[in-house]
Amino acid sequence: MQDSYRELFLSESQEYLTIISNCLVKLEENPSDKNSINEIFRCVHTLKGMAATMGYEKLSHLAHETEDLLDAVRNHKIKLSGEITDTLFQAMDVLEQLFQEIKLKQESRIDTAAILQSLKRHLTGGESPSPEPPGAQPDTAPVASAQPAELFSFSTEELKHLKEVKSKFPFVYKIVISLVRDCVMKEARAFLVFTNLRRLGEIITSVPSLDQLKEGKFELVFTVVLATNELQGSLQQELAVLSDVDQINIFRLDVAEMTAVSSAVSSDKHEPEVAAAAAGPVAATAVKKIQSMRISVERLDKIMNLMGELAIAKIRLLQIVQSYKIETLEEVSFALDRLISALQDEVMQTRLLPVAYVLDAFPRVVRDISRKQNKEVELEIAGSDIELDRVVLDEISDPLLHLVRNSVDHGLEIPDDRKKLGKNPRGKIFIRVSRQKGQIYIEVGDDGRGIVFQSVRKTAIKKGLITEEEAATLDEKKILDLITLPGFSTADKVTDISGRGVGLDVVKSKIEYLGGRLDFETKANEGSKFILTLPLTLAIIKAMLVQVGKEVYAVPLINIRETIKIEAKDIKILQSFEVVKVRDEIIPIIRLNKELGITSKAPSENEKDTRVSLVIVEYGKKALGLAVSQVLGEQDIAVKPLGSWIKRTKGIAGATILGDGRVALILDIMSLK
Amino acid sequence: MKRVMIVDDALFMRQMISKILISEGYEVCSEASCATEAVEKYKKFKPDLVTMDIVMPMMEELDGIGAVREIVKLDPQARILICSVMGQQSLVVEAIRAGARDFVTKPVQPERLIVAVRNILNNT
Repeated sequence: MQDSYRELFLSESQEYLTIISNCLVKLEENPSDKNSINEIFRCVHTLKGMAATMGYEKLSHLAHETEDLLDAVRNHKIKLSGEITDTLFQAMDVLEQLFQEIKLKQESRIDTAAILQSLKRHLTGGESPSPEPPGAQPDTAPVASAQPAELFSFSTEELKHLKEVKSKFPFVYKIVISLVRDCVMKEARAFLVFTNLRRLGEIITSVPSLDQLKEGKFELVFTVVLATNELQGSLQQELAVLSDVDQINIFRLDVAEMTAVSSAVSSDKHEPEVAAAAAGPVAATAVKKIQSMRISVERLDKIMNLMGELAIAKIRLLQIVQSYKIETLEEVSFALDRLISALQDEVMQTRLLPVAYVLDAFPRVVRDISRKQNKEVELEIAGSDIELDRVVLDEISDPLLHLVRNSVDHGLEIPDDRKKLGKNPRGKIFIRVSRQKGQIYIEVGDDGRGIVFQSVRKTAIKKGLITEEEAATLDEKKILDLITLPGFSTADKVTDISGRGVGLDVVKSKIEYLGGRLDFETKANEGSKFILTLPLTLAIIKAMLVQVGKEVYAVPLINIRETIKIEAKDIKILQSFEVVKVRDEIIPIIRLNKELGITSKAPSENEKDTRVSLVIVEYGKKALGLAVSQVLGEQDIAVKPLGSWIKRTKGIAGATILGDGRVALILDIMSLK
Repeated sequence: MKRVMIVDDALFMRQMISKILISEGYEVCSEASCATEAVEKYKKFKPDLVTMDIVMPMMEELDGIGAVREIVKLDPQARILICSVMGQQSLVVEAIRAGARDFVTKPVQPERLIVAVRNILNNT
């Protein structure tokens, strides 16, 4: 129970943190942006409430202090300075760390004292505040506390209790009590409130429970349900005299309605609890309809996997139906075909998430890096609403981050240099996402200095990656190959942002592992741009089926440039490699049967046919011709991961099951070369 | 004028509390430095309110809580305000159970003390 709340709490908090971080960036650019500050305030406030309800004291305390500062800024008591924004950013970081701890179920080790102090310092206008009295801010690890305060359930026992006292205490109130923020010994305070309430009537229940309250497992707010014969007004008066109580909100609950539910419930023994949501002065038992729910990624994967199997079974069925020519069977199987296709699309949709999930973190990252480097950067993000498979999204977030860092670090010049070149001192970084023909294009680039061939050449020769002669023939196409070689970096010095060895080679291999492509364009003094081409999903891909001997292989369509037939005599030998000239391009040939060790002959293979089928695939900007026995055609295939024992086989990326039940291996073009 | 009795083993504390209360227009009718003395003086002076430190050196067999119990036994309407150092939650809870009306923590913050005293005396 507690765990499921925790998950919900964490995922929701993450959303708020993202909003806050983005708004902070906006606010920094435009300190008078009222909407942003209000939005931040709202999110921090909600976070505080959630954290308090969950019993995460440090979190809610920090959120509270942040809220105070924000409130002062919002009400123009304090002017927003760069320093304050920095502190707010820091506070966000600490909040994130605290969430991380909760996520990992770690004991809380993070010291929030420093950030609390600087928040307070701004609030008091620069004076150093007196240190927190010891014990006022208990350093307890996150404690499980209770359900969200708004909704609590009466057990049958409590309902029985309500019924019993009905004649004596006709009124039932839900009383929400908030203690003052600097309340000391809140446990004893809560007990005192309870003691006072007991003088006025009967306490039916409380959230958190009295025991939890006595152990301090609550933030500053708790809710009590009291049966009494006091009217609301006099109750308010009676409670007003309690010290250290900040706020008391009293809501009348409708006993008749609840006890009615109780009798209905007691006749149904399977449902011992009924939820009573007391949301207003008059109790409403209506529970909000659930509009969306969270499903674990694991389950979605399972569904997707079954979907793949279903699609395969469907193809088999269609093939069989075609050979029997029974009209009614055909009808129903075609209907089935349509339904399964529609279902497949829907299931696919569940796996998709907007790229914003990843890109939302970027404004903050860019801000941080550009600050460190004293560069002025404007980030443009376009197309962040485009949806992408969750798995792909997960995998590309690091590479994207690297590319962006790379652009700020290497691409953009410092403002002074930009001025000298007649450019806007504020550099521009852009991330543009677009979707074309079942593929996703992501462009990451800048309007910086571009890649200076000379410096790449020099570095490459110095590092012994190419010879002087090779360097002389270096063209734009080969630049990418060069800068994505492991260990290449032209950064003048190593910074903590880039140049630490994790280079473009990692980005490139990651993208290729995903069945994507990385391209590169650059122009001296105008900027550079990386173009990522990615499949929409990894689970179902379009592939070309080819026959090699008696075996069938699938080549991902994303890798294929074209399929052609060439005359065997056109194949030439160049430096002991077979090559063929296609439209003035020399393309090396790999004979798949040799490469994969297949000796069988394809049934259709005709000794007299002098032509060779070639599937021309691309990696980077290079082409490679795969010689196969026969090209069978294009098909959607469901990718099945390979078992761990053959996972690392060179040239094989996965497997799929064909319509006739045969298994076809999916070729991994990148590792073939 | 409402009459207050101050119970605390430390003279300094008694003086401080009494200074705060007098400045607010209360009469400090008596002071006691231990639990037994507090019970005796309560009988004698019948103050409107008692401020009581619950952690006092044991004199005879009566501690602060015991004093609260004794006084409430003598006078169910007795109004007792606990003064306690922080961290003595269980003792405070015990005192509330015994009938104390409210508590403040040491070091005593004048505003809080005043608010608590006022609240108790108004809420007869």
